[in-house]
Amino acid sequence: MGIIQCTNVCKSFGEKVALDNVSVDIPEGKIFGLLGPNGAGKTTLIRIINRITIPNSGSVLFKGKPITQDDVEKIGYLPEERGLYRKMKVGEQAMYFAQLKGMSQREAMVELKKWFVRFGIESWWNKKVEELSKGMAQKVQFITTVVHKPSLLILDEPFSGFDPVNAQVIREEILRLKAEGSTIILSTHNMESVEELCDNIALINKSHVVITGGVNEIRHKYGNNNVELIYTSDQALSAAEGVFTILSDTDDMGRHTAVLSIGEGKGSNDVLTALLSQNLTVNSFKELVPRMNDIFIKLVTEEE
Amino acid sequence: MKFRNIQTIISREYMTRVKKKSFLLVTFLGPIFFAAMCILPSIIMLMTEDKGKTVGVIDQSGIVMPKMVDNDAFTFKDYSSEPVDEMKDKFEDLGLDVLVAVSALDEQNRTVSVSAYSRQPLSMDLKEAISSRVDDAVEDYRLSLYEISDLKQIMKDVRSNVNIATYTLDDSGEEKISSSEVYMMISMILSIIIYMFIAMFSGMVMQSVIEEKSSRVVEVLVSSVKATELMFGKIIGVACVALTQFFLWVVLTVVLVTGVSTFVGFDTILSTSTDQTEQMTKMVEGMGIDAEAAMEASGMNMADMTAVADSEMGAVLSTLRELNYVQLIIAFVIYFALGYLLYASFFAAIGSAVENEADTQQLQIPVTIPLLLAFFIAIYAFKSPDSAVVFWGSMIPFTSPIVMLARIPFGVPTWELVVSILLLVLTFFLCAWASAKIYKIGILMFGKKTTFKDLWKWLKQN
Repeated sequence: MGIIQCTNVCKSFGEKVALDNVSVDIPEGKIFGLLGPNGAGKTTLIRIINRITIPNSGSVLFKGKPITQDDVEKIGYLPEERGLYRKMKVGEQAMYFAQLKGMSQREAMVELKKWFVRFGIESWWNKKVEELSKGMAQKVQFITTVVHKPSLLILDEPFSGFDPVNAQVIREEILRLKAEGSTIILSTHNMESVEELCDNIALINKSHVVITGGVNEIRHKYGNNNVELIYTSDQALSAAEGVFTILSDTDDMGRHTAVLSIGEGKGSNDVLTALLSQNLTVNSFKELVPRMNDIFIKLVTEEE
Repeated sequence: MKFRNIQTIISREYMTRVKKKSFLLVTFLGPIFFAAMCILPSIIMLMTEDKGKTVGVIDQSGIVMPKMVDNDAFTFKDYSSEPVDEMKDKFEDLGLDVLVAVSALDEQNRTVSVSAYSRQPLSMDLKEAISSRVDDAVEDYRLSLYEISDLKQIMKDVRSNVNIATYTLDDSGEEKISSSEVYMMISMILSIIIYMFIAMFSGMVMQSVIEEKSSRVVEVLVSSVKATELMFGKIIGVACVALTQFFLWVVLTVVLVTGVSTFVGFDTILSTSTDQTEQMTKMVEGMGIDAEAAMEASGMNMADMTAVADSEMGAVLSTLRELNYVQLIIAFVIYFALGYLLYASFFAAIGSAVENEADTQQLQIPVTIPLLLAFFIAIYAFKSPDSAVVFWGSMIPFTSPIVMLARIPFGVPTWELVVSILLLVLTFFLCAWASAKIYKIGILMFGKKTTFKDLWKWLKQN
């Protein structure tokens, strides 16, 4: 059972429908990718899970029970539009957010100090936010999001504004939090990090869920039965009627890389059997899985 | 609503403001300013008082010199036989501070012209002393031209100076001598302060809402606490700042005024403002025969003088003494708190609907108009506290905090206070509920400029 179960959630703002019968099931202890083009309704869904916005209809369950305001303390939310009080000191500010999440003053102090040490930013404690660079402020904001050990973490574009080194630090922190048992909802346009980090995804487009499920299942589902074959031979490979056709074949001094399209009703074994009759040495044979990026573009443009 | 969250928000709103340099500055400079306003006039009077100035008089008219009667401050010496030009060069050598030259009588216009020469600019007192004496002389001269016997006596006889003694009757029917000027002053000061406080601090709430919205802190905040908790936490936090400032002002002003007065030993400072009656009477007695003469000249007798002193100064004094300061402070706190809560919730809603302060102009109009209106009615209340406009102004919740406070020094029946406070509380709950609805939606709206139509739509949404 998922940590968050949204069933038939609808939300409209006046005439504008933001979410139309959206159902997603977010499994506990996993990283869940929330994808979709701008304006699809991702932020509205996130806000509904956060109880910032109340849906018009549908239900949201948190660990199997209708979500309440108390559950919000177990959620950490990093909005896409970051924001800290510019004139407030970093430490005071982090303490404030931690206390609003239900931590006691002492508890908050202990945990914050740990995080500041981990990120090597102890010296920022008494600095005002306006003295920090954008990347530095992002780090502080990340800490304020996770300091209360939330069981559900909602990160909206967590890597934006970070240089590659710091982005890697955050990536590692996310994986570490997952290993410690947190569930993470990752909303991002960066498909590479989706492939790298996410276990499951939901793609939202025009207010409803287009596809949801495990990342690998989806990628295989949208695979168009192509394989990549690397072989060594003096001559080019020829197509086998009914078994496979050749989409491309490049020759690099006798070492060929070809993309084959497997025929209707046939499988990898049929292709390999057919290849045995040809005069070539197979170096590598692998199924071609589409990138998330391609699936995203395909699904979103198909709808138009 | 969770009290814990509201408490956390209140303490942040309060602490960040109270620790600001500008708050400390205003809080500590304010009382110095108020105290200075109380004390300075007396100090200036004490310091600048002319003592023992000698005035040389060249009287070519022959009518002025006899009127130049010496008093404590000024001694007049006759140099009528000397030429003006020569005297101008040497009057200082003769130990004179000022040289006054009176021209020969202008028979046609029946007047004289007077010039005064001195190193330092002439003080107001001295100028006044000279001019009143010369006026006196010229008036006497003109009277004498009518050649009516006893004219002087007749004039003295008809001159009148009637004073009105004002009494206010309290519920027990007891008469209290009172001064309406004092009530006016107190009423004016109170309504100006409450107007300033309401406008200033509810404006502060609006600013702070806009700051949170435009810096996008708000989205993180409302993911932890409810929007209404945030709004009321902020409003209450700022209210605590206002009350802190007010109490510090009251306490520090009192400490400063009494402190400075006793420390510097200027007993007179306080007595000038509180014990004027005694002083006045003493002065009148001390003036003795000279005073008699002087008063005779001004056409008043001793009894008149004391009566005036008793009725006017005494009234000020007794009014100041009779004023129920505790009641005034309690009324101020109640009406400020309620008026502020009402307006701050409006301003919070306005702040939530915009992304920067420049956009508030249009949306503010419906809120600032009643506030200004209240101020204008309050000004009217100084003059006629019992008029219908003022009565209704002190009942209608949007104007009542300011108008009622302007009325309070004049005395307000208890039932009117109760009704006005109840109405205010009721309206606050209604408006706060509406404001919270707008606020909840407004703080997360970005991009489009908000119109009144949008606000109305938000109000109807759930």
